[in-house]
Amino acid sequence: MTKCEACGAALETPVACAACGALREVPDGASPFELLGLEPAIVVDERTLRGQLTRFARLVHPDFFAAAEPVLRERAGRNSARLNHAFEVLADSARRADWLVTALGGPAEDTERAMPQAFLAEVLEWNEVLEEARAEPEPDPRVARLAVELAARRASSLERIARALEPLPEHGSPALATVRRELNAVRYLDRALGEIESLRLARSERR
Amino acid sequence: MAYSDKVIDHYNNPRNVGSLDKAKPTVGTGVVGAPECGDVMKLQIQVEGDRIVDAKFKTFGCGSAIASSSLATEWIKGRTIDEALGIRNTQIVEELSLPPVKIHCSVLAEDAIKAAIADYKAKQAEPVSAPEASKS
Repeated sequence: MTKCEACGAALETPVACAACGALREVPDGASPFELLGLEPAIVVDERTLRGQLTRFARLVHPDFFAAAEPVLRERAGRNSARLNHAFEVLADSARRADWLVTALGGPAEDTERAMPQAFLAEVLEWNEVLEEARAEPEPDPRVARLAVELAARRASSLERIARALEPLPEHGSPALATVRRELNAVRYLDRALGEIESLRLARSERR
Repeated sequence: MAYSDKVIDHYNNPRNVGSLDKAKPTVGTGVVGAPECGDVMKLQIQVEGDRIVDAKFKTFGCGSAIASSSLATEWIKGRTIDEALGIRNTQIVEELSLPPVKIHCSVLAEDAIKAAIADYKAKQAEPVSAPEASKS
């Protein structure tokens, strides 16, 4: 583990030293797991994650550096942003999986873009149902059913992804391509779920 | 991000929106998707001889995806299959002045043309029940 340049204590996060409070310059390549002081893994305990964020955010909060010299003020702002961004990635299981697949040398989203025709036909069908529902004056019961179905499919996709990444596969493992395809499917599910959400919001506003 | 006038025009007045009869042997259907954003695009062609006489599309996606597919149907109508296969996404990018973040929309349209033609060719090959080699 890296040691603090100022006091020699072992560092939990590259953003600052918890022992002496020294604000550090974070290397560009620092991973979200490093930033939050966690081992890379697909399963992340939400409370632990939140706890790490609060603890580290306190060390770099710009308010505490408001009177400091400009270099430190800027660094505090930058490090806070890095921490928050890392938290956003790790708090979302799909984004966490996406990060791990990329970090393990797996394929990018656009190199595994081919989806089974049957799946794409389904995506088209969901969207057609939503388009029809949008045109109707009354709520369409199919939308509620679709929302339940898609949410369940999203959950089981994420379960399969978690199983494939636990324990983490070797760098460049072919299993990563399967995970990437599953993540791409989640993207289509998310888009449709987002449409359902905006349809519901539009309806509740009209009332 | 601002859309170009051409994108806005195609978005407001999309050409050739709709469906053709998927079951017809002269109709080819291509359904493609963009994992970057979850957009999905269906493009259908009706072929007589080696010429595309009609084209329809249905796209669920952003303005650029709709404009790209609308433009694609406009371009392939009246062209031969080989001419349609020659259309490149870069031509769509240029015509619509798509920004770099929207290039995948034009890729989607090119993929959709290819998928529709492949589906049509597969259908033509079917009755002979021979492998792909027997291209009509």
